[in-house]
Amino acid sequence: MLLQCSELSFQFPQAENPLFSGLNCQLPSPGFHGLFGLSGVGKSTLAKIIAGDLNGFSGKVSRDDLNAVLYSSNLERLPGWSSVVDHIAKVIPSDRRSGMAELVESFGLRDYLDSRFSQLSLGQKNRANLTRYLLQDFDLLVMDESLANVDEATRELIILKIKELFPDKYFLYISHSVQEVSKFCDTILVLRTFEKTPQIIDVAGCNYRQGGKLDKKCLEQTMLEIVNAS
Amino acid sequence: MLHKRIWQFLLIYILGLGFLFGLKYLLGLSDYVIPGPMEIYQTARYNSGRYLVDTANTLSVAFVGHLLAILLASLISIIGRLPNLAGAMIKTAAYNLQAYPIVAVAPIIFILLGDGLTSRLLIAAMICYFPLLLSFIGILTTPVPDIEHFYITTKRMRWQLEVKIRAFENITKLTTVIAGSATLAMVGTIIAEFIGADAGIGYSLRISLYQSDIGKVLVALFFIGIFNSLYLATLEGVGYFIQKKLGISREG
Repeated sequence: MLLQCSELSFQFPQAENPLFSGLNCQLPSPGFHGLFGLSGVGKSTLAKIIAGDLNGFSGKVSRDDLNAVLYSSNLERLPGWSSVVDHIAKVIPSDRRSGMAELVESFGLRDYLDSRFSQLSLGQKNRANLTRYLLQDFDLLVMDESLANVDEATRELIILKIKELFPDKYFLYISHSVQEVSKFCDTILVLRTFEKTPQIIDVAGCNYRQGGKLDKKCLEQTMLEIVNAS
Repeated sequence: MLHKRIWQFLLIYILGLGFLFGLKYLLGLSDYVIPGPMEIYQTARYNSGRYLVDTANTLSVAFVGHLLAILLASLISIIGRLPNLAGAMIKTAAYNLQAYPIVAVAPIIFILLGDGLTSRLLIAAMICYFPLLLSFIGILTTPVPDIEHFYITTKRMRWQLEVKIRAFENITKLTTVIAGSATLAMVGTIIAEFIGADAGIGYSLRISLYQSDIGKVLVALFFIGIFNSLYLATLEGVGYFIQKKLGISREG
């Protein structure tokens, strides 16, 4: 499997400048990858193009045999007419019920399942939304700030759980935390403004896993590379 | 304690009566033009029973007409929300037809269908139908991307779910529109009765007009106002109950 963007160019209709100009990037193998960049640089737009949610670009996005590419974001909501557990149970295949229980437990959602979505805190909302995406059939899941408003310790638990449960899937994690992407991601795509060439720089992350040992030097080095690149 | 709708009506009614009496005594108008308080009281005593039944009759027709209009507007707006030719045609027809005053075609309805229940029902439904349709189409054609995205991307979106999401997200707007159109249904029924029907409070108003009896008109208006306020209060209560049941706060 391989995800590759070739010579991608895109400009919003009313914008003066292009957002992407001849952008190239790739994710060669499954894993927990990151997409980092300054605010407004086009991370969400690139993620939507990769997921097939946005058209009107030139260039090519090759997904090889990545059939199911999903885009999730922290702006999404579950419908409000019934409880969170009812909604999640309705949108997952029956063979994923055990997986649901494990995710719910790991994501700290067990006590809130009977609540309506509107009654949850922002962090709980994001975790509930991410849970339903993780229980779908997917090859690549874009997580556009999907863990925003979640405290650091819980975020770490969730990311490690995802890496443990889905080692064969592609993830593209969008975050504004340099330390977080450096620590957990396999490859970090650092997106820059269209004036800079290349517009995306690949930085190798520390890819920290559950039970593994974090190399502090690697972390510092990666963070430095990301900051310099962006 | 009386509902705010009834207080609002009573306030307006008393102000209106006060204005008429003010006019009567200021200009020295005779009891024939504007009857005095005692004469109105006597008229109310003799006619209240009949007017109560007549207004209940009118309200029942308005209620059924309103219900028909809601059902029809829901059905047409579900089709009208489609991004295809049928949807575009329905939207265009709805926007153009609503510009025509429906009351103007009421005589044709009476000529074709007679002065019975069917004509009253049809006119009541037609008068409140277009405002309902325009609001429903507006609501059902506006996507709710932050909820719908998941269902679209996982290929689970069905038209029933789409309608449910959009209706639920706009439930406050929908209940307001439905409650607002209730008055139109009542107006439509009264106009129909006034023009050509042989029953209802509109018919009684027509007789009062022929008799030039303002006292009877004022008593009829009192009952119309009370019944309409009760209907509005009931609809708003039902809307509030539904929203509470669904866990929707009044602030939205």
